[in-house]
Amino acid sequence: MISFRILDLIIALLYLSGAVSFLAGLIYSRKRVQDVSVCLTLTGFVLHTADLGLKYALGLGEVLTQSQFYISLLAWTFLLIFLLLWWRLKLKFLSLIAAPLALLIFTWSLAISPATLPIPGLLQGLWFGLHIGSLFISIALLAMAFGAGLAYLHLDRKIKSKSRMGNVTRDLPSLSTFDRVNHWAVLVGFPLFTIGTLAGFIWAAFTWKTIFSWDPKEIFTVAIWFIFAWLFHKRATGGWKGKKPAKLAILIFVLSLASFVGINFFTETHHSLRPDGTQDIPFRPQS
Amino acid sequence: MEHKIYLFGLNHKTAEVEIREKFALTGFNPISQKLVEKEGPVLEALVLSTCNRVEILCVGLSEQHLVREKVMDTWAGFCQADPDLLSSHIYTYTDRDAVRHLFSVAASLDSMVLGEPQILGQLKDAYRKAVEEHSTGVIINRMLHKSFSSAKRTRTETAVSSSAVSISYAAVELAKKIFGELSLHRAMLIGAGEMAELAALHLLNNGLKEILVANRTLERARELAHRFKGQPLCLEDLFKYLPQADIVISSTGSSSAIIRARDLSEVLKKRKHRPMFFIDIAVPRDIDPDVNQLDNVYLYDIDDLQEVVEENLAGRKEEARKAEKIVDQEVDKFEKWLSSLDLSPTIVDLLNKGEAIARKEVKKSLRNLPQEVDPKTIQILEHLAVSLVGKLYHEPIVFLKRRAQEEGSAEKFIDLARKIFNLDEEQIPENAHTEKKRK
Repeated sequence: MISFRILDLIIALLYLSGAVSFLAGLIYSRKRVQDVSVCLTLTGFVLHTADLGLKYALGLGEVLTQSQFYISLLAWTFLLIFLLLWWRLKLKFLSLIAAPLALLIFTWSLAISPATLPIPGLLQGLWFGLHIGSLFISIALLAMAFGAGLAYLHLDRKIKSKSRMGNVTRDLPSLSTFDRVNHWAVLVGFPLFTIGTLAGFIWAAFTWKTIFSWDPKEIFTVAIWFIFAWLFHKRATGGWKGKKPAKLAILIFVLSLASFVGINFFTETHHSLRPDGTQDIPFRPQS
Repeated sequence: MEHKIYLFGLNHKTAEVEIREKFALTGFNPISQKLVEKEGPVLEALVLSTCNRVEILCVGLSEQHLVREKVMDTWAGFCQADPDLLSSHIYTYTDRDAVRHLFSVAASLDSMVLGEPQILGQLKDAYRKAVEEHSTGVIINRMLHKSFSSAKRTRTETAVSSSAVSISYAAVELAKKIFGELSLHRAMLIGAGEMAELAALHLLNNGLKEILVANRTLERARELAHRFKGQPLCLEDLFKYLPQADIVISSTGSSSAIIRARDLSEVLKKRKHRPMFFIDIAVPRDIDPDVNQLDNVYLYDIDDLQEVVEENLAGRKEEARKAEKIVDQEVDKFEKWLSSLDLSPTIVDLLNKGEAIARKEVKKSLRNLPQEVDPKTIQILEHLAVSLVGKLYHEPIVFLKRRAQEEGSAEKFIDLARKIFNLDEEQIPENAHTEKKRK
């Protein structure tokens, strides 16, 4: 599949140029460079969509068993959410976090050799899709909240300490804009996170005939869910705004990323994406 | 080129305000004041007269003393003042320096408050007036258009005009950094005072939704509220209304703080922790500094704002250096265009040379004809030779003109044409290129 290799390379290059040019545009505060950079990322995204679609259409169900496909899909979801926010909130700024993240994760998907995942049965396909889809969107939302949160904390400190704003800080959107990103990410992200996690357990119940198998991934996810639930509660009813939700969103995203990268690759888990052959046969708990 | 660009002027650096007032040129018309005349020495002129500068930009003959004398006499005459006094305060720039000065003025690099935007508008007005009075020509027209575009470039590519350099604007800028759009937010003005009212006014001009006006007496509050189309309230009800206010501008004569951090916890709860921005313009301060420690609450007092303004001014100075580079580039471009105007002397030289050759050849031919040639034949012969030369040179001239028009510069072609037709009558040694051939 040499043509796919070339397509993947073009996508990665587009993401790279998008990420680098956005940073340059920000540092030298050139609006036009930033616009061009978002367009580069957008082009990459369109090609990426075609890439995923073609791989699915050509390989049909088979790609669904490859970890590569899912990692690539995650990179795609990051950009999908970024582009939605860009379109709705005119938040070009988040390209600073979205483009490099997409680049990193996409490149990573290219670097690993395909490992095989348990094939979902036809009946369970719905639960599996729900599990992956809503969790990915939720993580992408968290990524945006992560970027917005870092920017919020930076800007908040600058204003509070009355220190001089450089060009980059001066061009940042307002505190309330960043807080709005956090607001949406939490209010939409948490229900999706819940649905995704539940769908996973239901799917596990169908596939492995057990709901909770004390897998490290499951324990970690439930822990994240509790922190996320707390943030959701405080944000929705307690009127939390600004710094605290920003910090918590950063924490939750870092934990999610650690869970996705660390646990899936370095521990014994049925979520393993490890490319080494021994993991090809999924871990099945004794029922 | 036979014409030169001159700029005579005085500004806040070279002349104190009395002098600037005395020599102001408001309502000066270069045509009716006979500054610009067909025979010169001044051929085009533009007058810029603001409170910080009075300048005359003109294109005139290359004899500088003639132009200067004319300008000084007309200027002093218009102001009914001593030309020597004027002369002693004036600065004079010519050609490139004049262009550079004009571009710097347009980009507000020569202003008292670096980067302030008014000067460009004033220059545009001055230019519009000059065009209406028909006192400008090709060179000043182009020069002004280019000064506007280079000013626009400095503004978009550098931050020379971007940050606030007055206290009230600095407050508005900070409010925007915190809240974004101001159209959904309310401000409360506590007390009164010039600076506080100015800040309130700027906020309203930037789309603020509403203003609440608190004062010790409801009477006074009503009076102020009327001016801002706001809502009056009595200072005693301050904490009742405070939850509605996103921005609080305080400027009372109170000797102790009227708002403390511990008073705010209830207010913040009522506001569901939406952010608040306190601007304390009063001395002694109205708002306890510990308010700034609260989450989602920002407090700036007059010293803080003053510091922001000073930092911004320093920042503008840094940016001005970048802007100067842009101005230099634009001046270079303009000079290139200016030199392309040298096309006409080349054409004249070309035609002169052709005609000289034609007449020489006619003379030679006449010598070979019998003595009794009638004058009509001579005329016809001359006409033939001259028009032949004209026709032959027609195409190269059209080519040069078109290059100059399309590319903005025909320098290299003009240079080439001068060499091909040897218009500069250089003596070329017979073996000029033998060296090259050997290599």
